[in-house]
Amino acid sequence: MTIDPKRWYPVAASDDLPQDHVYQTRLDGRPVAIWRAASGDVNVWDDRCPHRGVRFSVGYVIGDELRCQYHAWRFASGSGSCTHIPAQPDAKPAAAIRAQTWPVRERGGLVWTGITPEGEPAVPIDGAVLRAIPVNRAIEDVEPALKAIPDAAFILQPVDTERCVIRGLAAPERTYAIDAMLERLRLTLETV
Amino acid sequence: MTETPTNSLLWNDWHVIAEEAAPRPLRPLRTKLLDVPLTVRCDDGVINALRDDGIPMRREVRYGFVWACLGVPTRDIIHIPEAQDDWRCIVTGGAFGVHASSPRVVENFLDLGHLPYVHQGYLGAEEYGKVAPYQVRDLPEGGIIATGCKVYQPSASPAAKEGYVVDYIYKTERPLIVSLYKANPVRPGAFDAIYLFAQPVSEERTIAYTLNMFGAEGVTAKDLRCFQQLIFLQDKPILENQFPKRLPIGPRMEMPIAADKSSVAYRRWLSRIGLQYGTIGAEPLTA
Amino acid sequence: MILHNFELSAECYAVRLLAAMLDITLELRRIDVFPGREHEEPVFLALNPLGTVPVLETDGASLYEWQAMLALLAARSAHQDLWWPTDEPRLIEWLGFAHRLAASIGPARAHDGMGMEADIDSCRRDAHRLLRVLERHLWFAECDGNHWLLAGAHPTAADIAVFVHVILSEEGGIERMDYPAIRRWTDRVREIDGFIPMSGVFSPLKAVEM
Repeated sequence: MTIDPKRWYPVAASDDLPQDHVYQTRLDGRPVAIWRAASGDVNVWDDRCPHRGVRFSVGYVIGDELRCQYHAWRFASGSGSCTHIPAQPDAKPAAAIRAQTWPVRERGGLVWTGITPEGEPAVPIDGAVLRAIPVNRAIEDVEPALKAIPDAAFILQPVDTERCVIRGLAAPERTYAIDAMLERLRLTLETV
Repeated sequence: MTETPTNSLLWNDWHVIAEEAAPRPLRPLRTKLLDVPLTVRCDDGVINALRDDGIPMRREVRYGFVWACLGVPTRDIIHIPEAQDDWRCIVTGGAFGVHASSPRVVENFLDLGHLPYVHQGYLGAEEYGKVAPYQVRDLPEGGIIATGCKVYQPSASPAAKEGYVVDYIYKTERPLIVSLYKANPVRPGAFDAIYLFAQPVSEERTIAYTLNMFGAEGVTAKDLRCFQQLIFLQDKPILENQFPKRLPIGPRMEMPIAADKSSVAYRRWLSRIGLQYGTIGAEPLTA
Repeated sequence: MILHNFELSAECYAVRLLAAMLDITLELRRIDVFPGREHEEPVFLALNPLGTVPVLETDGASLYEWQAMLALLAARSAHQDLWWPTDEPRLIEWLGFAHRLAASIGPARAHDGMGMEADIDSCRRDAHRLLRVLERHLWFAECDGNHWLLAGAHPTAADIAVFVHVILSEEGGIERMDYPAIRRWTDRVREIDGFIPMSGVFSPLKAVEM
């Protein structure tokens, strides 16, 4: 199953992005790095520097830029453009040198992205964001099992064809109990 | 485990598979070359290296290393003239498994731009991040040489008592062997030499060895070995975080800048000779 | 105090790391565990018959158990009550957890990085089981405003003991993508005053910035 290019998918919780931290995940098999700039804007980028492919998720957030761990190239929040190459500090980096950016929205306490998503992300209910539960099963196998858990709305993130992340929202006082149910569900799904 | 179109170039070449001192009596060393399991043993002081499946292969001991060729070698083991210099301290640098392809390991060794960041305080400093232009040319027998490289280094070697601008030369004459020469801090006109040998365990795993041949004044074998290991261990996590693991050598696959001249030349050379093992985007050579 | 040390050992790193944070100087003696196998030589076995590193020599006695070394360092520091709260049984629980991590991540790293034999699938499976437990704990701890393994404002030896294995897990083919709370916690550990890196561990930005 490849993902629907027109849909928004949740890939992180807002709380997963404290200052100066780079979060990593995968959507449809593609590694992405997610980080919050000093401005507050969230960025979802392919998790590799265009120079030599070092993961952005081992890099540093410096204000509104991400610095690659290898040669300290800097990339700007929003555009993903390379703004500084220390090996040639006086030259403006070529416009073609940029991080591969993804569309991004922050809604309902979650961070959403997609290939060419249309409209806005559909946040099912108002509530506290549950702890994300990665499951080593395909999304089609997990979705039906979630119907058994009450008082929560779930949205699934397809990591790749064999893995997904269960993300959800619920009333704050229910989060601990639902978390325990999800842990049990995961155990059942993975013990095949 | 046989010769295939993908591994053919490397199949018929010599590769380091162990340090000579590594296998001990009763403690043979298990390793892999081009996905072929091998065992290196030392019995009564005699080193022997064999394929686990019993198929014969060639092996040699040279320069403090055990070398193997799974096929028919198209040429001899690389000649290292510096190994005969009696004014040098010569020491091997240990074996390091890296979850990276061998061409990526070699390319990193050729790279100047990372020295102030990955090896900050030793081989470079952030204030000296600018890479001055240097020259690269092809070698007549194959490979490339980069000359005129200059890098400010706070601690260039165990013998260096202070920081200085080091003259560098890089050379690669075999796809998975690379050497660098750096101006010795105390012996005018002399160059310390380091060879790196990348053993292609598989397309995405390597064991890296170094042969360090530095002017003997101010260095001990132990210091030199430690220094080189420290440097390599700083590169290892970078190499393991590079994707794709195999080196992209097709056109326009990654974005080089002027400072990357040596890496660009290395990739172009690999592309010309048609190295497929451990790379992406190589065109198979037509007969 | 003399620490018989191997640069790539997670347990040696734990001792060096806590010492650095406590501002305690250790004299390091290098043992070439790999590829030199120096720890199997008679000279080393005379020092430690268990043939393991680290070994800590102090006041004429030797310690072989790395967590005992952490206890000793904490006791020698000015802030033992902060780093080793003796009234908290969970300290010992997390130290035990660190031993379990060592038993799964350790062989996985040795297998991938040094060619040692191991039941690699089993090691990785065990490691992920442990990391899932750790993830859940840290996520709920964050909800309660706690940043460390134990409740309270200050990191303890438990954080160091668990950190050194977690931070090197990728060298054993154990990715941490599924564990965002653990990743945030490892960032926090790297920010502790006195933090020192080792190969495979990137320095925090403040150590790198001019």
